[in-house]
Amino acid sequence: MSRKSERLVNLVIALLATKRNLTKAEIFRTIEGYDGSNEAMERMFERDKDELRSLGIDIEVSVLDPLFEDEQGYRIRPENFQMDTKGYSPSEISYMSIAAQLWKSASFDEPSQRVLRKLSGILVPLDIAELPTISPLSIKAPNFLGEIINAISERRSIEFLYLDSQLQARKRIINPYSYFSHQGYWYFSGLDVDKNEIRTFRCDRIQGDVTACGKSNKFEIPKGTEVDGKVGDDNSKFEATLRVRRGRGSQLRSFAVSIKAEEEHDLLVVEHVSESDLASLILWHLDDVEVVAPESLRHETIGFLQKLVQSHG
Amino acid sequence: MVKNFSQNQVERLLDLVPYLTSKPGVSLEDIAADFQTSKSSVIDDLNTLWMCGLPGYTPLELIDLSFDTGFVSIRNADVLSKPRKLTSLELATVIVGLSILKESISSQSKHYQEISDLLIRLSATSNVPTPASFDSKIDPDLRLIAEQAIRNHRKLSISYFTYGKDVESVREILPMSFQVMDFREYLESFCYKSNDYRMFRLDRIQSAKLLDVAKPDALEDRESAVMRHIFLRILSDARLVSETFNLNMSRAFTPEDEFETAVFNDEWVIRTVCSLKASTILTRPLDLRNQIKERAEKALELYV
Repeated sequence: MSRKSERLVNLVIALLATKRNLTKAEIFRTIEGYDGSNEAMERMFERDKDELRSLGIDIEVSVLDPLFEDEQGYRIRPENFQMDTKGYSPSEISYMSIAAQLWKSASFDEPSQRVLRKLSGILVPLDIAELPTISPLSIKAPNFLGEIINAISERRSIEFLYLDSQLQARKRIINPYSYFSHQGYWYFSGLDVDKNEIRTFRCDRIQGDVTACGKSNKFEIPKGTEVDGKVGDDNSKFEATLRVRRGRGSQLRSFAVSIKAEEEHDLLVVEHVSESDLASLILWHLDDVEVVAPESLRHETIGFLQKLVQSHG
Repeated sequence: MVKNFSQNQVERLLDLVPYLTSKPGVSLEDIAADFQTSKSSVIDDLNTLWMCGLPGYTPLELIDLSFDTGFVSIRNADVLSKPRKLTSLELATVIVGLSILKESISSQSKHYQEISDLLIRLSATSNVPTPASFDSKIDPDLRLIAEQAIRNHRKLSISYFTYGKDVESVREILPMSFQVMDFREYLESFCYKSNDYRMFRLDRIQSAKLLDVAKPDALEDRESAVMRHIFLRILSDARLVSETFNLNMSRAFTPEDEFETAVFNDEWVIRTVCSLKASTILTRPLDLRNQIKERAEKALELYV
């Protein structure tokens, strides 16, 4: 096993050090570890290339002689392999290191440890006394968030089991467009391939893992699509008129666009983005709130109250 | 591709060289700790690395290592001496970490601007996206304090901004749960000032202080303040119901199954069951079940 690691490291060193692209013949002749028949070495080299690429190492391929197309040359450009250490100030390197340290024994333990190792060589101690302690809640990111972000940057589909509103786990295939954090939860949005609609998912409702599927660059992320999952503050607001007992319903009052005093009640016109959420809130207030309009909401509320009486009788 | 041992070793070897270059004389123990591996596999790595170098592989081209004293120094490894680029997964951890960091510090701090700039640059040069939004707007300490208060049944003294009245007031509350509605987060509490249940928007609580544990006898004075066990049947919206009541629903269930949970407050249960729009039925205790029926009937009278 060490022999193979040795060969791979030697391959990296040779491809990095060369000023021109190396042919396979040159690689087989000079790099320690390639032996056997030509065919065996070819297979070995193909596997080695795949392995290095899966480590994120960019191997450049070019045709050396236009007359012989299968005569290809290989090299690794240092600028594609090495970190651009000069591009970042010492304090920026420190921020990155602090950011990676957040995940120590948390969600992204493994990749963050690799970050810390890579940065350790160039890290200059920074006075970070001013930086606050982070609430442990905010780093409750799921382990697979990294996979999702990766899939967004590679434009790859992802597959996972999602608990629907009836708590049934269903397989979903999504082209992820963006991710965001809201009130302590992590979400992502993307195109649901089966439904052909943009949907938003809350990470803690995923069962098991998220896996990337299919090829990279499979889709384009549409420009200007509202994909940050927020129920937009000003689009499609829903309006309702409610009669609310005086001194009650402080929360409904906070949605009110107008309040008109009656004898023991106030007549509120409220704006809400979701009719369903508003119905819940009205039911929560029981006999302190009467729906005046629209008729559909009034009807719905009566229906739920009747059901409640029936089911608890 | 499944990561096998040798692949991990290759990564380790490539990262070991810049690490050793920047830390001449580092001990084997420190390396093992930093690379989260054993001392013997570090020695194995060093022995492998010793055989690596530029084609030719004479002592002139090979990486020169000394580690027989237990401290490691490296020479002749210029080609690999710079740290490798971060992979996109590694960058993702950095970007999410930086976003959290940024959200937890005051926008007045000099770090805030520097971190914002860094985030933009990291994302632009790598194609790894930053969060589309990071909206907590809530002081992280506040959330912790509220959590403690809920868990330990402790009262909070809060300073609260009442939007409708445009005033800030100080009041004592007993928080019961976090609620999310319309993408806003609320602290559902008993408010001693109004002697009633109130929802407090978390982002409008200006400050909060934990008060002493509510004395047990004081709790018993309040008929409804004792933990009670309730039993629920779920007809629909199981995800919402289970998240609201914090039910353990790992197994498959039918509408006949009863789920048990402990709650702190009768009034909260009655209102919450009603707000769930008949998707759940409270089966026991009977007095609570009856109250739900009566309260719903009373609300229906509004529509007669």
